Amino acid sequence: MDETFRTPPEAPLEPVAHPYRSLEEREQPAAAPGEFAPGADEPPSGFSRRRFLELVGVTTALATATACSKGTRGTIVPYTKRPPEVVPGVANYYASTFQEGNRSYSVLVKTREGRPIHITGNDEHPVLKGKTSPRAVADVLRLYDPDRLREARLDGLEVPWDQAEARLVKAVAAAKANRRQVLLITGALESPTRKALVAELGAALPGLKHLAWEPAGADPDAARTSFGGAVAMVPRLHKAKVVLSIGADFLNGDDPAAIREFAEMRRPQGPDGPMNRLWVLEGAMTLTGAKADHRFPLPPSRAAAAAFALAKALAENHGLSLPEGVDLGPIAFAPQSFGIPAKAWNALLADLKSAGRQALVLCGDGMPAETHQAVDLLNAMLKAETLDLRPTEALASSRELDAAVQAMTAGQVAVVLLWGVNPAYAYPRAGAWAAAMAAVPARAWIGLMEDESAAQCQILLPDHHWLEAWGDHDGGDGLLTLQQPAVGALYDTRQGEDVLLAVLRGLGSQAAGDYHGYLKARWQKEVYPTPSLVPFERFFQVALHDGVVPCPVRSSKPPSLNGPAVTAAARSVAGRGAAGTDGSFELVLFPGAGVHDGRYGNNAWIQECPDPVTKITWGNPVSVSVTDANRMGLKDGDVVALAVAGANLTVPVLVQPGQAPGVLVLALGYGRTVGTVARGIGVNAYPFLDPDPGWAGLRRGVRLTRIRGHVELPITQGHHRMEGRDLVHSFSLAQYAREAAKPRHAMDPASLYPDQTFPEHKWGMAIDLSGCVGCSACVLACQSENNVPVVGPEQVVHGREMHWLRIDRYYEGEPENPKVVQQPMLCQQCDDAPCENVCPVSATNHSPDGLNQMVYNRCVGTRYCGNNCPYKVRRFNFLEYTAPKKEPESLVYNPEVTVRPRGVMEKCSFCVQRIEDGRVRAKVEHRLIRDGEITPACAAACPAEAIVFGDLKDPHSRAAKLANSNRGHKVLEELGTRPAITYLANLRNPALEDEA
Amino acid sequence: MNPEASYPSGLPQTLRAPAMTVGTVTPGSLDDQVLRFPAQAPPRKWYLALAFTSLVACIGMGFIGYTFYTGIGAWGNNSPVFWAFDIINFVFWVGIGHAGTLISAILFVFRKRWRNAIARFAEAMTIFAVMCAGLFPLIHVGRPWLAFWLAPYPNQRGLWTNFRSPLLWDVFAVSTYFSVSLMFWYLGLLPDLASLRDRTAPGIRKTLYTILSLGWRGAASHWQHYEKAYLLLAGLATGLVLSVHSVVSFDFATSIVPGWHMTIFPPYFVVGAIFAGFAMVVMVLIVVRESMDLQNLITDFHLEVMNKVILGMSCLMGYAYVVEAFTAWYSMNPILHHTFLNYISGTYGWAGWLTMGCNVAIPQLLWFRHCRRSYFWMILVALGVTVGMWFERFVIIVVSLHQDYLPSAWHNYRPTLVDYGILLGSFGIFFSLVLLFARVLPVIATTELKAILPGAQPGHGAHHE
Repeated sequence: MDETFRTPPEAPLEPVAHPYRSLEEREQPAAAPGEFAPGADEPPSGFSRRRFLELVGVTTALATATACSKGTRGTIVPYTKRPPEVVPGVANYYASTFQEGNRSYSVLVKTREGRPIHITGNDEHPVLKGKTSPRAVADVLRLYDPDRLREARLDGLEVPWDQAEARLVKAVAAAKANRRQVLLITGALESPTRKALVAELGAALPGLKHLAWEPAGADPDAARTSFGGAVAMVPRLHKAKVVLSIGADFLNGDDPAAIREFAEMRRPQGPDGPMNRLWVLEGAMTLTGAKADHRFPLPPSRAAAAAFALAKALAENHGLSLPEGVDLGPIAFAPQSFGIPAKAWNALLADLKSAGRQALVLCGDGMPAETHQAVDLLNAMLKAETLDLRPTEALASSRELDAAVQAMTAGQVAVVLLWGVNPAYAYPRAGAWAAAMAAVPARAWIGLMEDESAAQCQILLPDHHWLEAWGDHDGGDGLLTLQQPAVGALYDTRQGEDVLLAVLRGLGSQAAGDYHGYLKARWQKEVYPTPSLVPFERFFQVALHDGVVPCPVRSSKPPSLNGPAVTAAARSVAGRGAAGTDGSFELVLFPGAGVHDGRYGNNAWIQECPDPVTKITWGNPVSVSVTDANRMGLKDGDVVALAVAGANLTVPVLVQPGQAPGVLVLALGYGRTVGTVARGIGVNAYPFLDPDPGWAGLRRGVRLTRIRGHVELPITQGHHRMEGRDLVHSFSLAQYAREAAKPRHAMDPASLYPDQTFPEHKWGMAIDLSGCVGCSACVLACQSENNVPVVGPEQVVHGREMHWLRIDRYYEGEPENPKVVQQPMLCQQCDDAPCENVCPVSATNHSPDGLNQMVYNRCVGTRYCGNNCPYKVRRFNFLEYTAPKKEPESLVYNPEVTVRPRGVMEKCSFCVQRIEDGRVRAKVEHRLIRDGEITPACAAACPAEAIVFGDLKDPHSRAAKLANSNRGHKVLEELGTRPAITYLANLRNPALEDEA
Repeated sequence: MNPEASYPSGLPQTLRAPAMTVGTVTPGSLDDQVLRFPAQAPPRKWYLALAFTSLVACIGMGFIGYTFYTGIGAWGNNSPVFWAFDIINFVFWVGIGHAGTLISAILFVFRKRWRNAIARFAEAMTIFAVMCAGLFPLIHVGRPWLAFWLAPYPNQRGLWTNFRSPLLWDVFAVSTYFSVSLMFWYLGLLPDLASLRDRTAPGIRKTLYTILSLGWRGAASHWQHYEKAYLLLAGLATGLVLSVHSVVSFDFATSIVPGWHMTIFPPYFVVGAIFAGFAMVVMVLIVVRESMDLQNLITDFHLEVMNKVILGMSCLMGYAYVVEAFTAWYSMNPILHHTFLNYISGTYGWAGWLTMGCNVAIPQLLWFRHCRRSYFWMILVALGVTVGMWFERFVIIVVSLHQDYLPSAWHNYRPTLVDYGILLGSFGIFFSLVLLFARVLPVIATTELKAILPGAQPGHGAHHE
């Protein structure tokens, strides 16, 4: 059964050499001596005329064919025995799971002819409901990364796998015999079977020290302090009426379920609501802050004080009782000291009190520990039901890692095995790490592509990509998800778990041959419900098919808050008082929106996807608040030096509206030194992590000095104001009520052209700006689906990025604390498209179902259509952006979409390939197209379900109904373009009317 | 009616016939003066000049080749500034050509005989300018090897071009302009080529002139046909002066871009074309006049009257700027307001001021007679006009495009070395062709000039028509 998931051996990825050069060569097997020469049965006068012409024709055709293929391309060999599930031209979908740190995302992998080309969410997953994170969508490119290590290495030389593995096994066995420590550093294990495997390894190897390290994750000690153990806080936003975020960017795309649930509460049926309310206190500008009904810039160093002050006010003035053991006596701060007007402060308290169990307070991962304690206290006081506190994997804290480094330096560690981590890059004290590694005799590394850590190791064992590997994952909420290979291994790689199994076997344990067997065995023992009518094989196959299995949840008592710990935290906060003003800044460090902790740095799609807030690509400038920039005379692109004890950096500046004064923001994950794409992009911010306490994402006392130099920032959007133009509508609920009461007049400017007629369908979209958070999953999905090229940082500076879909982000109001709106902008498929009548060669015209078609092979590239598009959604291939593809990167292309050469215009097509696919299916099945059957890649990817695609001619379709909404609006309608996309106004729910 | 009778002491300056020739010019001396150049070896400075302009032209061609090889990305164009130097240069060169056609066709139809001395050269400049202009639509497309798809030729795919597109109207307008100008110019050359044929000793050159002069014998029937054809082509070309640049302006006026979508564009562009063209003609004629000692044929009067045209056009341009600005303000369209503010402020505000200064302010010097007759001032003004008109197209194209409807799409434009190289290369091509023309063909239409020499026509004299 499992063989069916692998690429059939008779159709290998490596092309076959030796095309045949003539009919004779093909027909005559080499062994047979050929008793009769070809044509011997012909009349003795030679070939009959017909035969002669046949041969001439065939050999000519073959000659041209072989002349074209230079021998290296090989032969296209059709299946002689096709695997039953592979129909060339029809995509197959496999359920799998993408794991990132301690999160896992159940996904569907779209494969064509045996290779994965697109990743979407698994619609069978009851929580994710077909949505996934942007990085999951982009990670399909990493499967085909040319930098992947393709064979095992030993001391820098390519060796057979077994040889390298044997060295590791020997070293571990020797360490066990000599009772020396074996250090295993992995990322978050997250998978129950993997945890079991590591536990088994620990049982067989007493000297094993395992650290599950996530460099950019939350400080694990924070949860330990509040609850006495590792606890994950899973928000349940569909239950939350009031959400207070203290630096928590929960809408940034990492948690698609959170976005979906939050967006559902932002789409009231009418002006009467119900609608949730979001309060945000944060130092940086984030997507969550952009969506806030009330947002106040608050330096993270003050966040704990503000949270404790809120708790005290709730306890003293609003009748909420403090949990046992908590004493907030010393806390005494006025709201003005946090920059929050008293009216707003009181409104926030009133909101929290009235929401009660349906309030939710969230704390950002990188916040200092006391803030976590304060937020945990608030949730406990509110008895919030909007939060699931779940025991979770105990991740390694920074103290544990420091201890491990010390142990390594002291020579106590005989073997270090790094699996999926890059401490040479991400450990803040790189020098200490290098010294520690040098002191370990056996250093092994398991990973996808050589990185900074691999350079320090002797044994390199290349890992499978997750698309090639087996696994299971804890999907949360009583769900288990499975991970299965969607493609056979591209290179000589093996799963990291297989390496651990080999080590286990080397230690004498009777471990399974490979991880697949191990996984099945464990599932049969622990997951497969007994007794059951269904045989295990069938159960497992169905589980693989669905990707999601409900698993028995052991109901555990929610952990209780450690009162004395909270009191201690409050005391230390009160004792600290207000921060001194010595001209230094506090630096917020957070994982980059795309590159995360740096592991995706080599993914060009991610590097080029603009950061959703700053719109910066290919780098990490340091964000400075407007106030500080004006004071220091800084502009975008000015180069500054950041310095703090033990670290300094030269980095360009970006002026960020809405950022709190005194706060600097810098993304982690850049500044890599290894990797064709990642090398030299941005700066490495890890050395700035605060060692005390615990490498938290906030560093105080950072000095910023302007130095000579200016760089052009590769930013995709240079202007952030709507300049008074009617582009995005944003209403408070009260304003919405007034707008809805007005009669709607459809703007219908006179036109020279007769109205378009659409006999059957008219495809259109409704985009709900109230739901859109700007996470950019749609941008990456579009890039993946439509073979959109990557142009690189210099071209982005020139203004030539190729994304068909972009998210315009506008600031309104005062720059120190603006209101933010996001607007996905794509081809509006205008009925009276200004681009269509100016193309001299008719390369763009209108289809009978409402699409503005782009005919790539007719386009000569005069670019008049680009000038005439008022939305500027047309993209021109100024250079040959697709040429420099290193094999096997071209395997990621979607074969249903043309790859455009240089000199050709391209733009969003509403995923016409999907529309055609849907149309053909309906035709073949003799039925009409159902509403919701066709979804463009962006609509399928949007976790907020903000993009709705459908037939505007069908009055019952969701898109048509939304397009008629009383908060609908078309952009630049007054130009008479008659766009097919209706934007639904962004709604806000402020507590105070004058904040709107 | 003899005006001389009313002024016994001599006609006042304004009524005196313009000195279309200076000194004694007979048909024979005219032939000798003008037709000796194709026969004799050119001076060393001609070779030097040609070497320089050819070098510049070759460098430009090299940059064009590089663009073919790499793509339009070698230029500074981006989104939203999809058109920049490429179309600026196209419009600039087409505009330069209009002066020649106005001089040779319109002034012929209006019977302004002073155009006879300068018509040949001006028309040649038109053809060369249109050739330079025609280069740009071919090279600015993303796939230049398919540029022929802009021509509506029958094909097996059953595809027509899109006749609604102004770019296609450009194809017809510019190709018509080129072909009509070429025919008109060639027709006018026929009698002179015949003269050359008759004056040249037998050899390759004589054979060439024989072929090119198409058997011209100067017979009365030949002259009849000649005059009719000349008038016909002049009539056609007259229309073209107004229509071609109007059609080129439709590239902008029929689009949706704020700052482009204005009905004033056709007359505004035509006036600008004549303006720029005359400036270029003045500059080149000064060089020709001095280097070939033709001061008696291309007289101060010619230069002065051309400067008056430049002055008149400059005033019209000033008027057009004012009307445009008023229309933009009156439109109550805030997006159009923003675009017009960009013309005088913002990143490219300097270009707007440069344009107005060079096009409106500096040519006002030509109110002064001294400036109309002094080489220094004339060349200063003409250079200023050339620069100003190039920058006017820059302002119209780049400044309107770089900030239009959606602020999220706004982006600045910066030209690259390749852009500059191709622009300079086009000047190199133009001046190389001009130099070659001056060497090979008679720069003055001797036939036409003979017709206005004193005593050439029966009656009072040539200068009363």
